[in-house]
Amino acid sequence: MSGKPQHPLDKYLITKRLPHIWCPGCGIGVALAAILRAVDRRIREGSLKFEDLVMVTGIGCTARAAMYMAFDSAHTIHGRAIAFASGVKLANPRLEVLVLGGDGDIAGIGGNHLLHAARRNMDMTVFMITNMVYAMTGGQVAPTTPTGMYTTTTPRGNPETPVNVIKLVAYQGANYVARASTTHPMLIERFTYKALGKEGFRFIEIISPCPEIFGRHIGFRGPIELYEELKRKSRFKPSPSLEESDLDWENGWVLGEFVDREEPGYLRRIGRV
Amino acid sequence: MSRFEYIPANIAIAEGAMAAGLDFFAGYPITPASDLFEYLAEKLPERGGVVVQFEDEIGSINAVVGAAWAGAKAMTATSGPGFSLMVEGLGLAIMTETPLVLVDVMRAGPSTGVPTKTTQADVFQVRFAAHGEYSIPVLAPWSAQEGFDLTVKAFSIANALRTPVILLTDAALAHTWERVEVRSRGEVCVRDRKPPAKPPGEFKPYEPDEDLVPRMAYFGEGYGVLVESLAHDYEGFYAPNTEEYARLVRRLVDKIERNAGMIVESATYMVGDAEYLIYAYGSTARSAYAVVKELRREGVKVGLFRPKALWPFDAEGLREVASRCRKVFVVENNLGKMVREVERVLKNKEVIPINIIDLEVPPPEAIEDEVRRWL
Amino acid sequence: MSSAKPTSQEVGGATAPTPRFRVVVIAERCKECGLCVHVCPKHVLEIGSKANSRGFRYPVPARQEECVGCRMCEYNCPDFAIFVVPAGGGG
Repeated sequence: MSGKPQHPLDKYLITKRLPHIWCPGCGIGVALAAILRAVDRRIREGSLKFEDLVMVTGIGCTARAAMYMAFDSAHTIHGRAIAFASGVKLANPRLEVLVLGGDGDIAGIGGNHLLHAARRNMDMTVFMITNMVYAMTGGQVAPTTPTGMYTTTTPRGNPETPVNVIKLVAYQGANYVARASTTHPMLIERFTYKALGKEGFRFIEIISPCPEIFGRHIGFRGPIELYEELKRKSRFKPSPSLEESDLDWENGWVLGEFVDREEPGYLRRIGRV
Repeated sequence: MSRFEYIPANIAIAEGAMAAGLDFFAGYPITPASDLFEYLAEKLPERGGVVVQFEDEIGSINAVVGAAWAGAKAMTATSGPGFSLMVEGLGLAIMTETPLVLVDVMRAGPSTGVPTKTTQADVFQVRFAAHGEYSIPVLAPWSAQEGFDLTVKAFSIANALRTPVILLTDAALAHTWERVEVRSRGEVCVRDRKPPAKPPGEFKPYEPDEDLVPRMAYFGEGYGVLVESLAHDYEGFYAPNTEEYARLVRRLVDKIERNAGMIVESATYMVGDAEYLIYAYGSTARSAYAVVKELRREGVKVGLFRPKALWPFDAEGLREVASRCRKVFVVENNLGKMVREVERVLKNKEVIPINIIDLEVPPPEAIEDEVRRWL
Repeated sequence: MSSAKPTSQEVGGATAPTPRFRVVVIAERCKECGLCVHVCPKHVLEIGSKANSRGFRYPVPARQEECVGCRMCEYNCPDFAIFVVPAGGGG
């Protein structure tokens, strides 16, 4: 080492590809750092091996994470990361599979694969980074966009009700369903650490500011303004019920672990553990 | 220990896949491919493999790509409507150079068409459906035995050239029962992947050898591979510049075309002194062969050229055989597809399309009537 | 995190506490989003006057001795550009 400062998570990154492409103040890097801190803890304590890590992503801003990882990763096609990841895990059960995607990639185009993987309790951890917009392509409406909000494809206001992915995944029987936010990075790390110790389908939604596209289009002038708005709208509860899991732009949303079960994962059910 | 069985082509293909080392099958029910899937659902787990029904064909193809990267010999099977759904996933396999076998059992289209009946209309779809620049091997058996043999070959090509391979049959052939020598795993010759030759840190997942094929590291082997759908450099990193992009797509095409020797294989029947040539493939070639034999009984000097690989196109083989012929008849159960390639390749030859639409295999009489008009 | 009390020295009537933690900034990775400065509970950081090669002005620990090692800057940085180590160790 030539004396350059080494960030504690650099061993998980291809540092020559930094700085990454995400905008100033984007929450994806915050989420990724928290996830990697939890991974790092698991590796240091010996319950996870670096060589067994596989990150699978689809397409979108969040999906770009794959190309910065020093471990095995896949930047696949829009909405299909969960299907690809299922194949990976089924073919080699030893691998620890992490899926990262935006709300559009995971719950929009990818919704069918999300639903069935949760129903199968397929053994993987899915991180859905919710910024309420399709940011990479310029700010089109997303499945989680609040009703009435301006986006580039709903210029007269979004007529739709946002999807509650927490409920959708929980009602299929997934083993772990939680919501965190990049405004509360410790929660991301804590939930990830717990998820990595479980089997079955583990799902963590991470609310995240998109200052450049989402924020700017609705009048927020910088990362800190949007960060504060999201922080104000989120509140942590120790054991929230699914009835309070809606993403309500007006009244705010609840962070916490909504489901924490110990049902057999898919691999156990087919005798491949 | 090989055994002889009386089985339909769909089952022969499944047996061929298992003989070639199939580990993973993901699929979705679709007529007329479902029984291939069902047979594997029973047999493959007995050999330690995994069979999963996914929520749709899109999930299936993407799972197959993922499984291949985790080290499995992976396959799926479908028909026209399912293939249409799988096209984007196939493109992913092409761009990331993922070995896999995709069985397409053609049925009459367009759209829902006639699910239980046959066609040869999709011979161009399988070559050109994915967007972008690429080439892809397509094998076309004409019998149940060839279903077994060409499936083994498909896995060999997939592993050797790090590419998806399409095994193309049709609804009629799928359920044609014939005697097949079902060889076991140890009795078939299958090439495996080229493993990395450099240590982690130096190994680059898209750096080709002289044969234009990169070596392949699987997930979990410590190489930190990046499977990348964006146009990329040798390390897999996004490279949106003309030089790197042109280099990549030229290689994706050349990788298949320059290694065509491993893929292309054509059978010829009675072509030695032939003045007339019939070009036919798949189930239609069965009837075409009967026509050749019938016309020979009358003294007509006619032969049959039957490609076992539709793509890459066997231009050299066809030119050589057709050089001695006056006329070339291209007999297809569609409205004229491979005939376009034949015309392109045999520029100064009289090429006559014989297009017979038949939901069953076109009977020899129908072909013979058409051919006679041109003798 | 050590709970030792900061040492202090009397220098001509004034007290100059010794920092317990050191904030390390990887300047080239910073995009001047300002979050680290904003979230620091002890107002240790300020946007500096020097820019990196992309023109972003990276933060500097203007009041290093106030740092309690909470790592809010580290955890809220999107760019792997800032982290905290015990003074005299790491980085």
